[in-house]
Amino acid sequence: MNMATRPAGFWGDAWRRFRRRPLAVAALTFVGGLALVALLSPAIAGTKPVLCRYKGRIYAPCLGYFDRRLEPAVFTRDRFRGTYPRNLEEKDPESWAVWPLVFQDPYRSVRADEWPGTAANPAKDEGRPSRRNLFGTDQAGVDVFAKMVHGTTIALLVGFVSMGIAGTIGIVVGALGGYFGGWIDMLTSRITEIVMCVPTLVLILAVIALIEKPTIWHTMAIIGATGWTGIARLTRGEFLRLKGAEFVLAARAAGAGPWRIMLRHILPNALAPVLVPITFGIASAVLLESSLSFLGFGPPPPTASWGSILNDARSNLAMWWLVVFPGIAIFLTVLAYNLIGEALQESTDPRLREARK
Amino acid sequence: MATYLVRRAIFGVLTLVVITCFVYGLARNMPGTPLTVQLGETDPSRKFNPEDLERLKRIYGLDKPWPVGYVQWLANVARGDLGRSISRKQPVATLIADRVGPTFLISGTALVLAWLAAIPLGLYASARSGRADERISSLVLYVLYSFPTFVAALFLQIIFAVWLRGTAWELPLFGMSDLPPDAALPARIGDVARHMILPVTCQTYVSLAYDSRFIRANMEEAVRQDYIRTARAKGAGPWRVLFRHAFRNTLIPLVTLLGLSLPGLIGGSVIIEQIFTWPGMGRLFFESIRERDYPTIMGLTLMFSVLTLLGQLLADLLYCAVDPRVSVE
Repeated sequence: MNMATRPAGFWGDAWRRFRRRPLAVAALTFVGGLALVALLSPAIAGTKPVLCRYKGRIYAPCLGYFDRRLEPAVFTRDRFRGTYPRNLEEKDPESWAVWPLVFQDPYRSVRADEWPGTAANPAKDEGRPSRRNLFGTDQAGVDVFAKMVHGTTIALLVGFVSMGIAGTIGIVVGALGGYFGGWIDMLTSRITEIVMCVPTLVLILAVIALIEKPTIWHTMAIIGATGWTGIARLTRGEFLRLKGAEFVLAARAAGAGPWRIMLRHILPNALAPVLVPITFGIASAVLLESSLSFLGFGPPPPTASWGSILNDARSNLAMWWLVVFPGIAIFLTVLAYNLIGEALQESTDPRLREARK
Repeated sequence: MATYLVRRAIFGVLTLVVITCFVYGLARNMPGTPLTVQLGETDPSRKFNPEDLERLKRIYGLDKPWPVGYVQWLANVARGDLGRSISRKQPVATLIADRVGPTFLISGTALVLAWLAAIPLGLYASARSGRADERISSLVLYVLYSFPTFVAALFLQIIFAVWLRGTAWELPLFGMSDLPPDAALPARIGDVARHMILPVTCQTYVSLAYDSRFIRANMEEAVRQDYIRTARAKGAGPWRVLFRHAFRNTLIPLVTLLGLSLPGLIGGSVIIEQIFTWPGMGRLFFESIRERDYPTIMGLTLMFSVLTLLGQLLADLLYCAVDPRVSVE
């Protein structure tokens, strides 16, 4: 078969339609940009060198921002105490270092002369945005730009991890109910209904209170464990609709078992409509996490989250920069996921396609 | 129909039992009790001595394991008694009754305003579908829809309570009223209204954006139907087609949506009430969790679940009532 004349598959066709929507493409680019920022966060803002040569060897101390264990032990041994610029020079005059774009730390205030010749970060309500602190500083003098750059990881992870969990639960529950029907459907539908009725906030607050050391991963798991009901209902509907389709009958006639039919035959056909609530779910997960952090139930302090910056602003509203920058970041992220979800819906749903031509 | 309702009722009660049992277990297992959380936070020296604590625990029934406590709670509820709040020393029913009004003031106003604006906006969008002005208005609504309420609330607070402080446009930041309870009624109404502006704005814009998009989506579905073509063919004007033929058929999903907004109407919004320190249900909920006030948590959970189930039932019944093709069986 000649490749050039081969018609585009379903997903190829959907992608072609998706690309025609400039806003959706912009949204996708934005999310890609966020991923890039999250990945490069220690190189964008930090006080640890991206790369440095120290006593004859090359290190990347900036990896310590991802996980403390990745910070080379030699610097702890030589008593750097997290302050690199002076120590590198004093303890090894031969050393060199490549520094992050912005010399600011997301977890602490930069001290006077920490970077030769600069003043300390302004603290209290003095830290309005300036050339050194692009987005200003908070009450403790921590740079908001650095906090936000490092908080990007959470904003991205929350969406994907929690909706990964919710999507898996929702698809499994919905598929079982829709395909098998009978008492299984009865059971799964009741469970879905019960989870829908439990007030999400109580559940999340209670579970967070129950865990001894709540981390952001727990929050993600709980958001995922409560956010699957819509996905389950939709999957159930799709499976109900498709299990009577002729291709399923053909597969059954060819001797395929129920699991094979569900996984190989029905699921691929039900995936497109199910992806839509998952994308919208990512948006609401980001929203939920930031509102939890805003209410003061976010990840514990050193971890930077956009919502927790907003929470700091509540005590002093005159520090408008603590509201404007993280607020706009949360808004743009939610907007981007919503735009992607809508474009996905319109480019994969053949009923909407006819209308637009 | 009767068997259907009975079946729904039985399942509803079962669902309620499962939910309340679950929430009760969770709440009781949270670290701290209403007796220790509050006092320990404010002043460590004011903690109870162990004997007093044991005595108080016995009084409030906290000395027994939680399944026993749950069964007792359930038995009391079956007798119509929601119990007494531990941290507020008041019957839970009274607490809820006190808070429903303020919440409804905000959510009811927001609901009416949102629908009043959403129906014309949705119809306008479907009438002008594809034109430049419609695209711009739809985009604006979409942006509003994605704008987090708590961010909007903070923006509004900064603008109206910080930047405009001292001008005629200044609006109060917190609470429901600054006047003493014995002030004249017109003055008090005006004061509460001024306090309501910001929270109502926050709650309205999201529903407005959602509802008008919902109406538009349903209208788009409706105008593609054959009966619209028939109506056009027989010579009905564009507005007549839009109102009499298309819009009337979108009332079905609209009514369903209205049914599903029932829990929010009474339950309120935790975040908005928390930001504006509005003395409503959402704030009561949040505070009762923080204070580990089990009776209040349970009372609110029960009420919220009942409303959610009722809303679903209402939506299903209305759906059958307005669409003869759908039957409850």
